Amino acid sequence: MLELHQVHKTYTTPQGALKVLDDVSLRLAPGQSLALMGESGSGKSTLLHLAAGLDLPDQGSINLSGQNVATLAEPARAKLRREQLGLVFQQFHLVPSLRVIDNLRLQARLASRDDTEWTAYLIARLGLEGLEKRYPEQLSGGQQQRLAIGRALAPRPSLLLADEPTGNLDETTAGEVLELLLSLVHETQCALLVVTHSPKVAAPLDRCLRLRHGKLINTAI
Amino acid sequence: MIKSLPTVVATLLAHYRRHPGQLAMLLLGLWVASALWSGIQAINATARDSYARADAMFDTQLDQLERRDGAPITRAEYHALRQAGLPVSPMLEGEIVTQDGTRLTLIGIDPLTLANDNPLAQADTSRSLTDFLTPPWQTRAAPDVLTTTTTLANGKSLPPLALAPALPPDTLVMDIAAAAQLLESGEEITRLVAARGTLNEAPTGLTLTRATRIATPGQLTESFHLNLTALGLLAWVVGLFIVQAALGLALEQRLGMLRTLRVLGVSGRSLVLALSLELLLLGLIGAAAGIASGVWLARLLLPDVAATLGSLYDAGVGRELNLPWHYWVGGLAVSLGGLLLAGGGVLWRAARLNMLELGQMQAWRSGYRRQLMLMSTGGALAVGVAVALYVWLRFQPPGDGLVAGFALVAALLLASALWLPPLLALALKVLTHLARRRPLVHWALADMQLQLPKISLAMMALLIALATNLGVGSMVGGFRLTFLEWLDQRLVAPLYLNAPAEQYADIDAWLADRPDVSERLLTRRSEALLESIITPDVSRALGTPIELYGITPGESLIPHWPLLANQQDREAAWAAFDHGAAFVNEQLATAENLSPGDQLNLRAPGVYETLTIAATYPDYGNPSGQILMASPQLAARFDAPPSSMGVVLHPNADVDALREALNERFGLGSDALSDQREIKRVATDIFERTFTITRALNVLTLVVAALALLASLLAQARSRRQQLAPLWAIGVPRAQLAQLSLVQLGGAALVTGLLALPLGIAITWGLVAIINVAAFGWRLPLYLFPWEMAVTLATAIAVALLSAALPALRFWRASPRTLLAEEANQ
Repeated sequence: MLELHQVHKTYTTPQGALKVLDDVSLRLAPGQSLALMGESGSGKSTLLHLAAGLDLPDQGSINLSGQNVATLAEPARAKLRREQLGLVFQQFHLVPSLRVIDNLRLQARLASRDDTEWTAYLIARLGLEGLEKRYPEQLSGGQQQRLAIGRALAPRPSLLLADEPTGNLDETTAGEVLELLLSLVHETQCALLVVTHSPKVAAPLDRCLRLRHGKLINTAI
Repeated sequence: MIKSLPTVVATLLAHYRRHPGQLAMLLLGLWVASALWSGIQAINATARDSYARADAMFDTQLDQLERRDGAPITRAEYHALRQAGLPVSPMLEGEIVTQDGTRLTLIGIDPLTLANDNPLAQADTSRSLTDFLTPPWQTRAAPDVLTTTTTLANGKSLPPLALAPALPPDTLVMDIAAAAQLLESGEEITRLVAARGTLNEAPTGLTLTRATRIATPGQLTESFHLNLTALGLLAWVVGLFIVQAALGLALEQRLGMLRTLRVLGVSGRSLVLALSLELLLLGLIGAAAGIASGVWLARLLLPDVAATLGSLYDAGVGRELNLPWHYWVGGLAVSLGGLLLAGGGVLWRAARLNMLELGQMQAWRSGYRRQLMLMSTGGALAVGVAVALYVWLRFQPPGDGLVAGFALVAALLLASALWLPPLLALALKVLTHLARRRPLVHWALADMQLQLPKISLAMMALLIALATNLGVGSMVGGFRLTFLEWLDQRLVAPLYLNAPAEQYADIDAWLADRPDVSERLLTRRSEALLESIITPDVSRALGTPIELYGITPGESLIPHWPLLANQQDREAAWAAFDHGAAFVNEQLATAENLSPGDQLNLRAPGVYETLTIAATYPDYGNPSGQILMASPQLAARFDAPPSSMGVVLHPNADVDALREALNERFGLGSDALSDQREIKRVATDIFERTFTITRALNVLTLVVAALALLASLLAQARSRRQQLAPLWAIGVPRAQLAQLSLVQLGGAALVTGLLALPLGIAITWGLVAIINVAAFGWRLPLYLFPWEMAVTLATAIAVALLSAALPALRFWRASPRTLLAEEANQ
């Protein structure tokens, strides 16, 4: 499903070169879930951005569904993201000018995979029934993140990438959202890569990796 | 990706559903830019169509013969000339008034003696020549005259109408016999015409004007239309500032959405395509509304423009808009082109959008710093262009460089507009540093720095509109003062007389015996060919027809008659004038680079004279060159007939009594005697009407700029409240914050207004010293009006305060709950 092989990434800052990822390799099989933990600045989000094709590595390869993301042109990477990936962010990144229902269907429409039944099912499962006509700002934080999860799963992606998906939520809401996320991932059989600080988020996943100063330092669950 | 394009476009457009103010601002900008531009182009297109038809008439390739004394030619004289073998054809011209009050020019021709290839003889009609020549005859008219009633004010009827699209507006052509009946001209003929070059010289007592020497309205009015186009272009640019501001704001507010779309799999190329489609859609709506309003505006302004062109250049312009197909296509292309110009930056930024960065304030700031650098550099380049144009113009002959003059003014406007934001940014930076011990003032200044990127375009538009308003206003005001002063100098007699040429000798003798008359100022007019000029450096052949005007240099006239340049002093110049030297008007002096001391060689039938130029004089409003001579000299040397007479009376003499006595003694008609005040009133009316459209466009441009500022502030009102909410939360009263908002913007507007003052003066200078000279051949004195400057400053501040008042009021009236919610959102 996803395979990173000897990936390097360095950023240029006013203070000099900053090595963010140093010879990172990992594999994620279809249907598998993986937590990626580490301190702030350890390179977790960069790894997720590279996996999503939002950024390109300096060296190494990133294979997603048989294609090397690092060698694809920008339109091809966009197509891959649209059709194969679901993305969930800590800040939700919903479109403020679209209603709940339109936000939910946005990526599915972009990927030409809009499915009314599946959308209705997701609305029900996400607990957003009756809120379809509202705008994101009229929802609570937990509802907004549930909507973001729904949007990511609406096109039935093969890989879901989540960056601190509960980082903006209180403990109770975070637990509910995580449970919903894992349940839906299980239902759709898509692979899951979660970047998180929280051991509670990492615990229910199949595997957990830790990044420190750009290197994977253990592979323990 | 094409399949998902509608989703992307719909998502982009959804932004405007939540922010209708921004959509309104965008459409407003497009609408006004397109409306003012297309309105002016509609006027120009209609006027040019009228000129084209009139040109076809003027370009009849006919030489013209008229009597030297200005009296009509008789049929007997025509027959005599024909019998002498001269290939002349009679033409009768006069004015008729229809029952609905429309004034029309009636031309009577004889198609049998008129050259066959002549447009008048070939008017585009399917009727036979017999219909034209025999009762009930036929009236040929352009389509815009066909709607006019065929009954005249005096009860007579026109012959049946026949369509002749090539004829100019307000002109009817018919057989000379039918025209003579309608005009009741009896035996009189206005002029004789002959195919070009068939007459070697004018028969005795007549003047010959060659076809090539007849100036056409199209040539004369070119500068007027260039002026209009320049004003339209200015309004278009100001409108585009609004569009640019609205698009920039919409982009800034949608950066998060664009990033999200990219993350969800929309490629950069697709995003730019979708944004382009969005622009095209909005552009089409704005352009359609703009063109429709432009046509409406043109209909509204056309009567004034037609009156102006008629009074300034004697050019007839149709009362109905006549718009060719390319007008509509051109209007659409200019609107969409402008949108592309204004939106190009947005597309460029969207294409380079970094998916890993959100639209952070700091990033925006650093981006704006780069923009300020670019603006400073661009401003310096524009100044360079202005200086280069100025230097180039200095080496051009006077009267050349109309387009360069406009380009110079445009470069100055552009430079000032581009330098305004860096100047404001610098001032704010310095003030912020100075106010660091006063926290609220410090915050207000720092906050203004943050606002600057969002309002700078609107401020630039305001600067351009204010400076143009001041510049054009000062030019018109200066022109008005000069014109009125000039009228006072020219019209020294209380009574003016226009009588048949043969009556002047008797009238003059009769007036000379009257004790209440102190002076008779007889004028004469004639024409000659200015064959060559001789200056100390060079002798040049010209061959230009020129008007000769004779005045009586008496005690009343000499002290008031203004001179621009003379060889020694005024007294010497007038003494030389009395003894046969000539004065030339500024137009002629500018066009031919003449100075006092130069010599003119003039030829008229049987006359060849050399005149020395003693002085040059201003002759405002006259589109042609003119040579001035003492009336007795003009009579003696060029056999010029009298054309009018000013009658100067002793103090306390009764003007009305003299008028009555003149009428009684000589049987003069009511039109023959004119009161000085009446002439001044008519002249002033014409002047005021001439600048109606200039004033209207000027005010509209300022209104557009004010709307730009208001729209900018309204569009960002919500984000402003979010920035103000934390201050309110920590204890600054809402009223104080609202006042601070007003002071912030009022201060920025004051700086803008102060910068507009020198810029406005520079524009006035460009208009009077370069553009006027190139367009009309005369230069106006530069007048400055402190009151106008104060009004400009006050307008700048008022516009800013009015624009800021609504958002400030909304903030002041916002409930604490709303502010808390907005602070939480932030």
